[in-house]
Amino acid sequence: MRDWTAIAAGLKIELSERMKQTLEGLDKTMLGLRGLIDWQEEPILLCGVPPSEDDAE
Amino acid sequence: MSGGGMTLIQAAQALRSGHVSSSELTEQCLSRIERLNPSLNAFLTVTADAARAQARQADEERRAGMDRGPLHGIPIAHKDLFCTAGVRTTSGSKLFESYVPPFDAAVVERLREAGAVMLGKTNMHEHAYGITCDNPHYGPVRNPWDRERIPGGSSGGSAAAVVAGMCLMATGSDTGGSIRVPAAYCGVTGLKPTYGLVSKYGALPLSFSLDHCGPIARTVRDVAVSLAAMAGYDRRDPNSARGHAPAPLQDLLPPAEVDSLAGVRIGMPENFFFERLDTQVDNAVHFMAYRAQDLGAELVALRVPDGTQLNVISQVTLLVEAAAVHEPYIRKQRRLYGEDVSTLIDTGRLIPGVDYVQAQRLRRRAQGVYRSILKQVDCLLVPTTPIVAPMIGQAEVAVGGQAEAVRIASTRLVRGFNALGLPALGMPAGFTRGGLPIGMQLVGRAFGEKELFRIAAALEDATGHVGRQPELTD
Repeated sequence: MRDWTAIAAGLKIELSERMKQTLEGLDKTMLGLRGLIDWQEEPILLCGVPPSEDDAE
Repeated sequence: MSGGGMTLIQAAQALRSGHVSSSELTEQCLSRIERLNPSLNAFLTVTADAARAQARQADEERRAGMDRGPLHGIPIAHKDLFCTAGVRTTSGSKLFESYVPPFDAAVVERLREAGAVMLGKTNMHEHAYGITCDNPHYGPVRNPWDRERIPGGSSGGSAAAVVAGMCLMATGSDTGGSIRVPAAYCGVTGLKPTYGLVSKYGALPLSFSLDHCGPIARTVRDVAVSLAAMAGYDRRDPNSARGHAPAPLQDLLPPAEVDSLAGVRIGMPENFFFERLDTQVDNAVHFMAYRAQDLGAELVALRVPDGTQLNVISQVTLLVEAAAVHEPYIRKQRRLYGEDVSTLIDTGRLIPGVDYVQAQRLRRRAQGVYRSILKQVDCLLVPTTPIVAPMIGQAEVAVGGQAEAVRIASTRLVRGFNALGLPALGMPAGFTRGGLPIGMQLVGRAFGEKELFRIAAALEDATGHVGRQPELTD
């Protein structure tokens, strides 16, 4: 598990207990979900297809 | 019947037949705003003079034989994160307290072109980042069914304004349930359309890949005609969907009476969505499913991927994207943020980039699984929230014998559909014994809004939940 206190200190972010619990919960689930990732697939992030030149003014 | 008692469709018919003018409808709404807004706090800005001028123009156009469609002359409101040229757009924040955009958001533009009359801008959760609408800068929006309760959020001002008859339709945005939760808590109908169907240009963002813009109104048909006006490709929005022009209005709008759902397969998840619900919510949503069955639909029991995991994928995406949106402001203007919002932004700043990318991979996978599920059924029928509207200031709620944060309880059944981008229609499913609204969602295939409207309209016609309005005194 990540050391959220150290990460927050590094970024000079005040870490409340509630934030820490949220981050730990998310971290734990994300770790558990790694088995479902298709490592061959390139993910589509935000705008996967840039606007074509036809769209320009 | 006054504008406050009419649905949008009824008002449109009255306008076309000459039984009422846009000016009369607009005055009725302005009068209700003047009377009710001091207690409900649904509007942040009322543009009465401009509304009167727009209504006069609509009446003149109609007298000259022009008909822009069902929204021509209809008084509406915009959530205060849609940019409006010359009219303050706060996003419910202190940060944008004095921001007056020089342009209109696409949604505002389209609705104006359809002839709608803008009454003003509605209150919301600060920066659309929360579900209570307990706004630290402008005061809480109050639920018209019980003013000590939240209306839900973040589009709570829009939902409260619609159910209180202050306008006939209002725009909203939905990043993690922000149209559907207030629709459920206020007893109105709201659509989170398919991602990309409605342009986000000019909508102040919260999360680039999760934000959706849509309409909130009293009935399914009101929402359908509003969507027809709002939807369509817009090159100014890089995520606007090409090749998915909205169906023509005559196709999108369900017939006046839909009395059969024969041949429709409705998915009823056996896991996640019906776990840990308030008993009255559970009963009401099942009642709606059985009404669908009575109308000829087949109820199909099925299992869906773990909703908690999908919520985490959605939450990681939201936290990181919202942190990126607010990064330029939070560092230097932190004092202008409410505590709950700044805490969420800080949380997002701490999540490693690798988690964000993995969340997008997992999201893609979940989209594929739901695509397969929605090949077996035409839609899913699930509750919108496991609870009814909590009290203002309430932090926790007991659900199924367990204490749960109000924010988590309110969003756990809606959030995942933002990550999937699927259309989700929130509509009334009934009322508790104490008279509070209960909401349900119909979730369909991407760009399958037309089918959703038809199924929802049949259920609306078969039950008496829609059209109920709270008794409101000053």
